[in-house]
Amino acid sequence: MAETKAKLPWIEKYRPKSLKDMAIPSAKSSGHKVNLAEELTNFVRNFFIEIKKINEINKEIRNHNRNATEKDQKEEIRLSFEKSAILLEGKPGIGKTSIVYALANDLNMDVIETNASDTRTRDALERKLNETTKSRGIMDFAKESRQKLILIDEVDGIYGTKDRGAVPTILNLIETTQFPIILCSNEFKQGLQSLYQKIKKVEVQPLSKLEAIKIASRVLKNEKISGISSGEIEAIVEKNGGDLRAVINDLQAIAKGSDFPDVVLLNNLHRDSIEEIFSLIRELFQDVKTLKEARNLTDRSDVDYNFLYKWVSENLPSFMHVNSDLANAWENLSLADEIFGRIRKNMYWGLLPYFYDLFAGGVTLSKKESDSRKGFVRIKNPQYFSSTTLNSAEKSLLEKINRKYNIPQDELMQDFLPFLQVLSSSSRKHQKIISDWFELDTKEKKMLKSD
Amino acid sequence: MINEIPIWRIKYLPYNLDQICGREQLRNRLKGIIEKANFPHMLFVGTEGIGKTTIASLFAREFLGKYYDANLKIIHANVPLTEEERAQARSDAYVSTTKIGSIAGKTVTMPAFVQVKVKPFVQVKVMDAPFKILIVKNFDALGKNQQGFRRLMETYGSNCRMILITTKISGVIDPIVSRCQVFLVPQVDLTSFGKLITSIAKKESLILDEKTIEVLYKASGGKISKAIDFLQLSTISNKTVTLNDIYISLQKFQKGIVRSLLLVIFKGDFKKAREISRNILATYKYSAQELFTYLLLELHKLPLSTNVRASVINMIAEADIRAIDGQDNDIQVSNLLSKLCLYSEYL
Repeated sequence: MAETKAKLPWIEKYRPKSLKDMAIPSAKSSGHKVNLAEELTNFVRNFFIEIKKINEINKEIRNHNRNATEKDQKEEIRLSFEKSAILLEGKPGIGKTSIVYALANDLNMDVIETNASDTRTRDALERKLNETTKSRGIMDFAKESRQKLILIDEVDGIYGTKDRGAVPTILNLIETTQFPIILCSNEFKQGLQSLYQKIKKVEVQPLSKLEAIKIASRVLKNEKISGISSGEIEAIVEKNGGDLRAVINDLQAIAKGSDFPDVVLLNNLHRDSIEEIFSLIRELFQDVKTLKEARNLTDRSDVDYNFLYKWVSENLPSFMHVNSDLANAWENLSLADEIFGRIRKNMYWGLLPYFYDLFAGGVTLSKKESDSRKGFVRIKNPQYFSSTTLNSAEKSLLEKINRKYNIPQDELMQDFLPFLQVLSSSSRKHQKIISDWFELDTKEKKMLKSD
Repeated sequence: MINEIPIWRIKYLPYNLDQICGREQLRNRLKGIIEKANFPHMLFVGTEGIGKTTIASLFAREFLGKYYDANLKIIHANVPLTEEERAQARSDAYVSTTKIGSIAGKTVTMPAFVQVKVKPFVQVKVMDAPFKILIVKNFDALGKNQQGFRRLMETYGSNCRMILITTKISGVIDPIVSRCQVFLVPQVDLTSFGKLITSIAKKESLILDEKTIEVLYKASGGKISKAIDFLQLSTISNKTVTLNDIYISLQKFQKGIVRSLLLVIFKGDFKKAREISRNILATYKYSAQELFTYLLLELHKLPLSTNVRASVINMIAEADIRAIDGQDNDIQVSNLLSKLCLYSEYL
């Protein structure tokens, strides 16, 4: 037992068993502060009281229906959405899942969980949950049978074609359930609005820094690890901003294997992904001397290559200043882009090695030794602009103009708007006439001023 | 009091087929079709801005008479779908399990454009008129989505006729061309252009001579709306239009920014050139291909030797070809700019 426990990740090992030994995060429901533990316990208790009543009434109705004519059929009643499901919303790692498990443990219930790692198409959800929710099973006659609690974790992870039809299924599930349902979500999502409207939402706030430090020190004490100063613990807590899971993960990472924390690793923890790209780009342009080095560098990084070559493209002119170098580098990069396009279009994955070598090594090695300017170079984020989409001001202008004069967006931007700009800049009078006629507001009027 | 329309190109838009400038032959054919009250799918081909869409929509209006409101739709194939429309297409593609048939519960893949913009219109039964009319502008921009039209044109052909409009017939796939009657829309000729401009001049009480009209015709490349724009710009200060006025307004209106891009390139300043090119793409909503075309046009106006011109064209062509396959147009444009900058050092 002790051995298996030692192998568990710390987050599982230190997951609270009961609400009593858990640091309950503060929570808000429709603007009022609530006690999360109390709220959830009451919710589960009330659910079972209500569902019992409803089941009895439904039984009578069914009996009645069996004997009644078609006209006198009565509909079975159902528990309201608010009483059968509750949504916990809060940042990742603050204890939403933990509190549900602790609660189930306290009330002696089983948790049936589905999370983002399961495919949640309609079929899959129905298969997994409907059986447990609708029928109470043979075992229900036995009094000792444990009640169940349904946890739909990471609701906001439902999206895309993979999880098609999940939301209606969940709604249907909530309507017919025989067990309380708790949903967890990280953030508000437009696609799930029909769900949000119907059920009660509780916003869970992150734990305070003090509490997180307290828990972290307790974990370290338990693992008999010394040598991490309180300042360092505080730094880790600060960095993760209330995400207790990340704090414990970090602690495990730096303490792994030995009783002494790895200081290098501790420093590495502060590096986030954008900075990783920054340093990668810098290394690529400034330190790489051979093709092999470049290849190693790109292989080693976790950054998506599909994304990385755009960073290379954006920052190329900051590192190269001679036209011949630039031309060579762009030649390689544009060929890489062409190859990438063909790979995507025709699935020629065999071309991928060329793409790698061209966009990394091919580009950076185009730089000649003679032009090594020293000094700090600022790395720029790639500009993702699509030249064909309009911004909001342009959109509203197009809409206004289309009321009077039907013109497609490309003709407006390339032809008509430049004309309007010239015409309205000729005199105040013209500007007023034009903007009055199209009923433009100040923001759109600004667009008439040519630059 | 009715507000007078301040923009002449809108004020002098034709409102029936008779008012269309010139092109009698085409007009007569279209009128014949209206009399017969029947026509096959049509394909209008002609250069940019000469009034294909105007002719097509006026024809459709006259054909449908007072029922044109519900039975006519104009869609632009080159305008990208909005996010909502894409979502709509995705949800439409899923066939509910409650439906009967072998495709129940499956996702039917259909080009999103056809799914959202075309199908809902062509599927609804026609009201009162002989059939509905769908006008698709810039049909060649659809690319391989054109295949989706093949079946549509046959299946819903009796319910809805299509008028496809394109600038280049080579961009339209053969099966579509064979399903359509092709109409070549010619440019307006100088005499009818002259008549139109003179009539506008009369209404606006302008004074202008034959020579000015000819210059206007050449400057606008036969595009009427553009010519009217020039005319209006030239008359801001006074009612007498001289050649000089036309030239001044031309200068104001020309896309000087593409020229300035070329000049920066020939100075060899890559960073500046990249900045300007991005700026052009963002403000005028050009695609990379369009930018290449304008560079080419502008290049012809610069005084360069034949050799230089040929090599520059070579580079533009190379970049254009790569942009077809490439994923990121920005990279391809930058590639061209860097090559040109390097080349300028040898000039």
